[in-house]
Amino acid sequence: MRVSIGAIVEGGTSLNYKTGNWREFRPVFAAGVAPCREACPAGVDIGRFLREAKQQQFDRAWHTIMEENPFPSICGRVCAHPCEDACNRKEFDEPLAINALERFVGDHGLRNILVPEIPKPKRRETIAVVGSGPAGLACAYHLRRLGYGVDVLERSPLAGGMLKWGIPEYRLPGRVLDGEIERLRTMGIAIKTEVSLGKEFLTKGLKEYKAIFLALGAQKDLSLDIAGESRSGVLSGLDFLGAVKGGNPPPVGKRVAVVGGGNTAVDVARTVLRLGSKPTLIYRRTREEMPGIAREVEEALKEGVGIELLTSPVKISTQRGRGLKLECIRNRMGKPGPDGRRTPLPVPRSNFSIESDTIVVAIGEAHDPENLTQAVHCNEAGVSVDEWGSTGVPGIFAGGDLTPGPRTVSHAIGSGKKAALAIDAFINGWDKGRAQSLFLGNRGSLSMEQWVNPPPMAHQSNRVVTYEDLNRSYFEPKPRESMPHISDMARRIGSFDEVNMGFSEEGALQESQRCFGCGTCSLCENCYTFCPDSSVWRKDPHETFEIDYEFCKGCGICAYECPSHVIEMIREEK
Amino acid sequence: MIPRQDERELFAPGHRACPGCGEAIATRWILKATGTNVIIVSPTGCLETFTSPYMFSPWRVPWIHPLFENGAAVASGIEAALRYKDRSDIRVVVIGGDGATFDIGMGALSGMFERGHPIPYICYDNEAYMNTGIQRCSSTPLLASTTTQPAGRQSWGKDRPKKNMPAIAMAHDIDYVATASVSYPKDLYEKVKKALTMTGASYIQVHTPCCTGWGYPPEKTIEIGRLAVNTGLAPLFEMEAGEIISVHKIGKRVPVEDYLMAQGRFKHLMQSEEGRKEVAKVQRIADHNIERLGLL
Amino acid sequence: MAVALAVKSCKPGVISAYPISPQTHIVEALAKMVADGELNSQYVLSDSEFSAASIVYGASAAGVRSYTASSSQGLLLMTEVIYNAAGTRLPMVLTGVNRALSAPISIQVDHQDTLSLRDSGLIQFYVESVQEAYDMHIQAFRIAEDSDILLPVMICMDGWVLTHSYEPVELIDQKAIDAFLPPYRPVHCLDPEHPLTFGSYAEDDVLMEMKYMIQGAMEKAKAKIGEIASDFHRITGHPGASLIEAYETEKADVILIGMGSLVGTMKEAVDAMRSDGISVGLIKVCCHRPFPAEAILTCCQRAQAVAVLDRGFSMGSEGPLSLDVKAALSNLERPHVLSFITGLAGREVTTETIHWITAEAMEAAKSRRTVRGSQWVDLNRSIL
Repeated sequence: MRVSIGAIVEGGTSLNYKTGNWREFRPVFAAGVAPCREACPAGVDIGRFLREAKQQQFDRAWHTIMEENPFPSICGRVCAHPCEDACNRKEFDEPLAINALERFVGDHGLRNILVPEIPKPKRRETIAVVGSGPAGLACAYHLRRLGYGVDVLERSPLAGGMLKWGIPEYRLPGRVLDGEIERLRTMGIAIKTEVSLGKEFLTKGLKEYKAIFLALGAQKDLSLDIAGESRSGVLSGLDFLGAVKGGNPPPVGKRVAVVGGGNTAVDVARTVLRLGSKPTLIYRRTREEMPGIAREVEEALKEGVGIELLTSPVKISTQRGRGLKLECIRNRMGKPGPDGRRTPLPVPRSNFSIESDTIVVAIGEAHDPENLTQAVHCNEAGVSVDEWGSTGVPGIFAGGDLTPGPRTVSHAIGSGKKAALAIDAFINGWDKGRAQSLFLGNRGSLSMEQWVNPPPMAHQSNRVVTYEDLNRSYFEPKPRESMPHISDMARRIGSFDEVNMGFSEEGALQESQRCFGCGTCSLCENCYTFCPDSSVWRKDPHETFEIDYEFCKGCGICAYECPSHVIEMIREEK
Repeated sequence: MIPRQDERELFAPGHRACPGCGEAIATRWILKATGTNVIIVSPTGCLETFTSPYMFSPWRVPWIHPLFENGAAVASGIEAALRYKDRSDIRVVVIGGDGATFDIGMGALSGMFERGHPIPYICYDNEAYMNTGIQRCSSTPLLASTTTQPAGRQSWGKDRPKKNMPAIAMAHDIDYVATASVSYPKDLYEKVKKALTMTGASYIQVHTPCCTGWGYPPEKTIEIGRLAVNTGLAPLFEMEAGEIISVHKIGKRVPVEDYLMAQGRFKHLMQSEEGRKEVAKVQRIADHNIERLGLL
Repeated sequence: MAVALAVKSCKPGVISAYPISPQTHIVEALAKMVADGELNSQYVLSDSEFSAASIVYGASAAGVRSYTASSSQGLLLMTEVIYNAAGTRLPMVLTGVNRALSAPISIQVDHQDTLSLRDSGLIQFYVESVQEAYDMHIQAFRIAEDSDILLPVMICMDGWVLTHSYEPVELIDQKAIDAFLPPYRPVHCLDPEHPLTFGSYAEDDVLMEMKYMIQGAMEKAKAKIGEIASDFHRITGHPGASLIEAYETEKADVILIGMGSLVGTMKEAVDAMRSDGISVGLIKVCCHRPFPAEAILTCCQRAQAVAVLDRGFSMGSEGPLSLDVKAALSNLERPHVLSFITGLAGREVTTETIHWITAEAMEAAKSRRTVRGSQWVDLNRSIL
């Protein structure tokens, strides 16, 4: 080609020189896993629903949660929020109030009577779900979304399981619970109450139903195993709460001793206050070691619940005309036991007594295996299952508190979801590779959305985004929104009104803006802004960016400046 | 010309800049501010070299590379020609390096300022003669090691402070003087836009980290620039009529060690007690900037 | 003043200059014309000659006819830009007012300054009179802007002798000049409508070819100058440019060769010698670059000796003009070429000197003595 005079050339001709072959590493947009999602047993896509909430797209945010968890209003009130403990923002200033935001979005759904889609077509098979607690209902929900017919079989007169009978009104109002359960009925899930099943159901039932999911829960209170426990005036925690929920609170007198440190014990104590009596919690370890949600314990103490820590009950006796006498002993903490928790050791001759009218025992629950032992494998921890909820007996699955594992609502929901997936696979055949890709991170969280209706994604990475991965120069400190609540203690304990009132829309918007969006592109455009080689571009202003690999030199600035760590640098294969 | 994915990018890819080059980022944003109705003049330097191998030009606007020391003079001539043709709507902008601006081209620059041509002169300052191999320039900061004034057994590197070009520019009574940084490209964009509204000359000095010359991994170009700003060593401000009219306030102040330690050209300071003591001189410069300009 | 009038009539868009004796009158006259609204140019006062040349280079790149002038040290300072303009193929017109180069400093005339630019790709004409300067400046713009040439053009005129003297000059009607010199239409220029990149760097695979093309343009210019000159003569009636002017060279035994105002003195001497029966003629080299080797060869091939009078010197070698002449005649055994260095830094060259030079040449021719190197004429050996 003839040389041009004066070495004058046309502009833009550098497009003929492909600097892409300089690269040693290539940037790849890879949506990583946010630690909050990894920690969520229900596998909710928290980053996405917060991003949608931030843009006031509350309907979309609700649908995002509903892809994985059918009970946002419930969880937004009672969940122990492991997501917040994992939140990367907690190392920057304070973690996101994810729990409160889930509640806000869930309540938006209830208020606007939003209905979830059923993405799969109707199938002829019907599945039986035994038990209408969170595990059972979550399983039913996901099965229904997969197209199956579902019969939920509940022994008691009302659906909800532990949610109904074990959590007081001031934490989870009945209308909220009923609203979220009613929604399931409108989807076509049959919830049959006052159904009594015998042990033959586990064999004969498989003729009528294609599979059975056992979600009986753990509803038998453990006993103290001390003298005097059978005296009248000694109640079990779940029985007490159930009676209150049923409208028949038992007479408890003026002074109530509540033995235990978990959520049930705390719920009992705060309920007692609202009945007009004076509760005292008796817990054998220290405050920090109480298994109950820390916030709940704090509120309980603010409301006026008394507490005796490092105290174990020894003996119950009656005193004529003065109610019950609970003899206790003080503890000191010893070395950790087999479960990793420190062993309380009684301090000799530290005995003392507490007088009370009623003693409520709330030290934990167990499942009631009587009908199950012949059909499925079962031990003290519960019915044995694999990570998918399969019992080993074809067609029989189990989950929730009935099986070994953390006794939380979100865990129950997660197990119900996994079992639904396992049931779908059982009926249709496994796709093991695809099933493994559903897991997010390393803590057992799983995406049902990926199974049902995978959203298009250029590249998904299973890498969990850490605090160090984020470029924090782009974040400003901003205090966490606080939950509006009834602050007048007298007013609070004078009724069973819900204590926390939920974020206003303004509060929800402010708080959702604090989300770092770990692993999700927030369209901040840093990659585009800082590319020296004009090689980050997009066709449409509403879409995320792409890399022009013909020219990208792999300098890595885009990955480094991405606040949310959405770009991974991957070695080029030569 | 081959239409490319985003034709608003007036600085096409395929240029030969080092991966992670700060100048390329600055140039993209300068051209976003100028738009297409512009003629760019670049004296000899990194930018000129990596954008003009024969037959491979990324410039989608008219561009001329004259010599090393006459960027400002050639721009003056172009501007006069446009004025003659009654096409003063076409703007002339110089994008030149610190070598061409602070040293060899300072005479021509002074002439351009004195005559008051409506030309924004934008200096991308990577603090040495990078194109020819990282040699010392009057723009090189105190204690930096360069190939012609390296750190050694009897030397801490540059022994003189950085020449204050913005002050020299302002002493010419030109319309607008500003400092900017590659790490804050939107700010640079606004400043270029503002310079283009001036009826006389303006000068913008863009602090431009250079991974090859300063000794840090290429992905950290923006990070290093940010650190420079947040120590107070690269203050961002605007001046009109001899007065400071705006400064960029430092959000979270950083001690100069954090900035110096991150670069190979200063690592000799960290290798001995005396070296670390020398750092105090640099901290004083930062402190002085912060106080004088009110950066906190 | 005549030069200023010539430049004015060519309507340059941008003028830039930096003062240096003896160029000052020209640029001052132009400045006054601009100030009085007679000349619609952008007159840019530069901070140095280097900047002045750069300004003009930039203006030319932007597609506007441009002009500057300098002398001596100023020309040296412009050198980098002139090479650059030639390489970038930009037309610009310069007046080179000849003056000696420092050190030692002198403001008197010789040709060392413009001769030092002879390798750059700049087209150079040396004028003998103010009239010629006037005529040549007008043609210079057209030569530079010719699409086959596209090189800077310099009109060299002896400082003080031609710039600070009074001479009647016949001016040309503006209409005729407009007919001869249409508005500048650039082949390539900086224009947002068609973005071009000027000043690329070229690798070894193309660079030699680009330089070769500059030489090619120089070669083409030889014929083109003739065409343009004919056009000039036809339109204006004034004599057009020529590469050389041959004066009484037919059948001359000795031919003298010189450039610039010195030629006037040489013509006087030649006339006197011829009337004494001496067979001598002279060639005035009008265009030094491109060097009119063929024309000189044709003219000199039957002479016995050629005496070249240089007003400059290539230190370590010989007078530059004589080197060019010797190269042109190198394949011939006859004529014998002698090099004489005369008139440096304004030293007067008298007709006696020219008589003596002619005699020397004649003697060398007859005795077939070979004279190497240059002879420095009128040197005061008593002060060496």
